[in-house]
Amino acid sequence: MTQTTSLPFRDEDVRGFGMCIGGPAPVLRPTTTEQIADAFAEVRRRGGSIALRGAGCSYGDAATNGKGHVLDLTSMNRMLDFDPATGVAIVEPGVTVRDLWRRAIGHGFWPKVVSGTMAVSMGGAAAMNIHGKNNFALGSFGECVRSFELLTPRGDLVQCSREQEAELFHAVIGGFGMLGCITRLVIETKRVHSGRLRVWGLVAKDLEHNLQILEDLRGKADYLVSWLDLHGKGAGLGRGLMHRADQMQPGEDPTGLRYLDPMLQDVPPKLFGVVPKGWLWPGMWGAVHLRQVGLVNWLKFQAGFREQRQSPYLQSHGAFHFLLDYVPRWHWMTKPGGLIQFQPFVPHKEGARVLRTLIEKCHQTRFVPYLGVLKRHRPDPFLMTHAVDGYSLAMDFAVPSGKSGREALWRHCRDMAEVVLGAGGRFYYAKDAVLLASSFAQVHGADVVDRFRALKSHLDPDRLLQTDLSRRLGV
Amino acid sequence: MSERNGTCIVVGASSGIGLAVARRLLQSGRKVAMLARREAELRAQVHTANDVLGKTQAHAYVHDAGDLDSAEPLFARIEQELGPVDEVHFVAGVMPTVAIDEFDLDKDRHQVQVNLLGCMAWGNAAAKRFLARKAGCFVGVSSVAQDRGRVGKPGYHASKAGMDTFLEALRNRLWRHGVQVTTIRPGFVETPMTQGLKLKGAISADKAAELILRARDRKATIAYVPWKWRLIMFVIRNIPSFVFRRLSI
Repeated sequence: MTQTTSLPFRDEDVRGFGMCIGGPAPVLRPTTTEQIADAFAEVRRRGGSIALRGAGCSYGDAATNGKGHVLDLTSMNRMLDFDPATGVAIVEPGVTVRDLWRRAIGHGFWPKVVSGTMAVSMGGAAAMNIHGKNNFALGSFGECVRSFELLTPRGDLVQCSREQEAELFHAVIGGFGMLGCITRLVIETKRVHSGRLRVWGLVAKDLEHNLQILEDLRGKADYLVSWLDLHGKGAGLGRGLMHRADQMQPGEDPTGLRYLDPMLQDVPPKLFGVVPKGWLWPGMWGAVHLRQVGLVNWLKFQAGFREQRQSPYLQSHGAFHFLLDYVPRWHWMTKPGGLIQFQPFVPHKEGARVLRTLIEKCHQTRFVPYLGVLKRHRPDPFLMTHAVDGYSLAMDFAVPSGKSGREALWRHCRDMAEVVLGAGGRFYYAKDAVLLASSFAQVHGADVVDRFRALKSHLDPDRLLQTDLSRRLGV
Repeated sequence: MSERNGTCIVVGASSGIGLAVARRLLQSGRKVAMLARREAELRAQVHTANDVLGKTQAHAYVHDAGDLDSAEPLFARIEQELGPVDEVHFVAGVMPTVAIDEFDLDKDRHQVQVNLLGCMAWGNAAAKRFLARKAGCFVGVSSVAQDRGRVGKPGYHASKAGMDTFLEALRNRLWRHGVQVTTIRPGFVETPMTQGLKLKGAISADKAAELILRARDRKATIAYVPWKWRLIMFVIRNIPSFVFRRLSI
């Protein structure tokens, strides 16, 4: 691609985390708000488009732009302030979850909402309105954002909070980078009374058992997440291992005081203290390509019984939350095809039926996810919310490297999406790669989509901000 | 384990090794006076520690280690408020960034003021009392930087070498009277002071604190933290000057 502007855009291969979507695009890494404004002005003048990108952790095409430019905000990563008394942080959008927890934990605070990897950026987390293992209790990431500063495509700086520009506040969070660039955020963290959590592993014999545990513990536990062995069939369909974690009360874990040292929170770099985890992904690649994923899942499920016997145990916050960081570059195991994640959100009442149907469809089509993660959710107040009072099941699919296989997987996912939409379900754009424009209004409702489009036309009349996702959905 | 059960003082307790030492002392049930210059950080850390412990064991005293004249009256005040002190950890230290061609007396003076004179102020205040009671323990956190004057930070090396020699003399005066003086020479430790230095193989502040308290318990005179630095510094100490002055370390 030729250089289209005088700003130092450089051609790079820009892909989603799943590696299967994206391609070359001119990328700029601004370090100041002024540079973002300059990029907006220049690209708009030339009639081009810009995709805003954080740490690039969206699985699909939410931060790629095959037909325009990309602003990568990872260099705007200064933590401007952290109040050690209240745990409130003022950050630039490129500050990561890792940066935030490392600062917070030393003072006895922990981010209210964290993802399964600590690599995600604050700007990206707000734009996609990410969630964690406590969505049913504390809500989504947007709920811990106190305020933010937005640079609109027209170059205006707008301060947004629940009191000021409330409509914009609720539309930008979860608005997948369509309305402007977040240039600064004020984030709340929460007090923790130990550097450790009390954790239980609970074996769930099937899908219904999993859902039952979620309902039983919903008001009691602080975190709930279930790993599902989606290769289980018949009586074992939807079996898995639920993890429950509770925070400590003051005085309950005095030893947890020294675990407030950030270095004691990090995910261990070696397996059994010997094998560097950076070496593990080739072994996992072998399991995927020799079709032994079912066996690996079965072994993990069996190991759950041992964990259940040893429960509860104490674990650092970092070790509990950041499972995706245990094995560096784990997603390379799906090379060369890459991976996609399909994460439907299903209302509580339809949960058992819909999720069972989806898993059965996976078995029929033989596209069985190598990983399944079940969580409980609650609605949130944001315009483009994906949250429901119900469940989500994240399913990771390795993408076949051939064209026909890839198309068949997309067909399978769209077929599952029909079932989900029919039941009043929703989707989450950090994970999506398959939805069609026709589903956009169905996910959010026609009036919500109209309001979002009206805001978009008002703030971005030239449609400067675009991504492959926004074009796919016909935003 | 230590047989002491009086009040502990940790100078430089709002972050890094000092905070980690204070936390481990608190965890073992001791009453700790935590001293630091930055009030908001210090008060927040004291609050956090008491919150985790579920009771008030940590006490905040705002103090700049470079404010030499206030050490003695503050020592007295702490004893009055919290009871007799039998253990002091001097962990305060400053290490400003110094360019390789920079010769800034203000920075040098500040390092001598805090690292060396601050240690003397607290060492003297403690020594007086410990000598009279014929008991007590003073732990001074020096540095491997004291072993040799290297090109990077002349002021830091000099201040730590002075501190180290002061601690040795103090030890020689007091040990015969039952008072312990332990010198700690940490190598690479990940703390706010060393943030951004990319120290390979750095240990956590908590690990450093564990080793420091272990050195205290075995009544060590000089302890390298971790132990391997004794070997590394043995080599570095024995590099002849005609070689050493050409090196960039």
